[in-house]
Amino acid sequence: MTTTVDARGLACPLPVIMAKKAIETQDRITVLVDNAMAVENIRRLAVKTACGFAVTEREDGFWEIALTRTGPPENTPVGVPAADGEDLPVCDGRGEKNAEPLVVVLSDNRMGRGDDILGDILIRGFIHTLLQLQPPPVRIVCYNAGVKLALADSTVLDDLRDLEKSGTEILICGTCANFFGVTDQVAVGHISNMYDIVEILAGAGRVVRP
Amino acid sequence: MTENPDNDYLVFIFPSVSHALKAEKLLKAAGEAHKLIPVPRHISSDCGVCLRIARAQRPGVAALLQGKVTWEGEAPLG
Repeated sequence: MTTTVDARGLACPLPVIMAKKAIETQDRITVLVDNAMAVENIRRLAVKTACGFAVTEREDGFWEIALTRTGPPENTPVGVPAADGEDLPVCDGRGEKNAEPLVVVLSDNRMGRGDDILGDILIRGFIHTLLQLQPPPVRIVCYNAGVKLALADSTVLDDLRDLEKSGTEILICGTCANFFGVTDQVAVGHISNMYDIVEILAGAGRVVRP
Repeated sequence: MTENPDNDYLVFIFPSVSHALKAEKLLKAAGEAHKLIPVPRHISSDCGVCLRIARAQRPGVAALLQGKVTWEGEAPLG
């Protein structure tokens, strides 16, 4: 009898860990996964543990993997880097349905320190390129000079509006807009406060600050 | 995304960031709509930024830059 491990809907690296546990005690298992990353990780597990590997893509959006042990079980920990890092499960978020939501912090109206003109070019490029991320960030939080990016005369206003249209919530620090005297010029997102900002940052899966 | 699909746009590629910035200043002064964007992945350039304009603006923009800023080439976006 073949044991079936149903790892559909589970975030990386759980599918490969479950598969490894099962193949340590069984000669033959079937693993169900719903993303290509998990298939690749289990393929690497099969190579590492000298197991037979066969994958079938099913019509309803998942993969069925047959793992067959061809030798004695090998006690290789999964998720612990080998010397060459080869047996690390790859969990880069791409293609993962359960990738942690992304929050982008714009704490300045420029990107990086050094030259202001260059920093201005870079932040414009950064925000424009954010539009190509799939999925887009769930939230963008603007504070300190970052609020200037959300004003009516901002060179990135149309990109921020496009992000908002694609579902990104944009929060503007009210204290900061008030400090710069620009509250009435905010043209995208909504004015927010430190309570919301702290809660969002503290609860974020991933925070990126250019 | 933006209102126009990508195939309605052209990008001007420049030999350096300062060329791109100089061109942007000229376009801004002339009231030509434009956007300074990272060079798309499918186009190779050392400079890293390029100027995106609508296709229809091409003759006007080229005339504006001619003799004032050198550009390396033009490419359709997308």
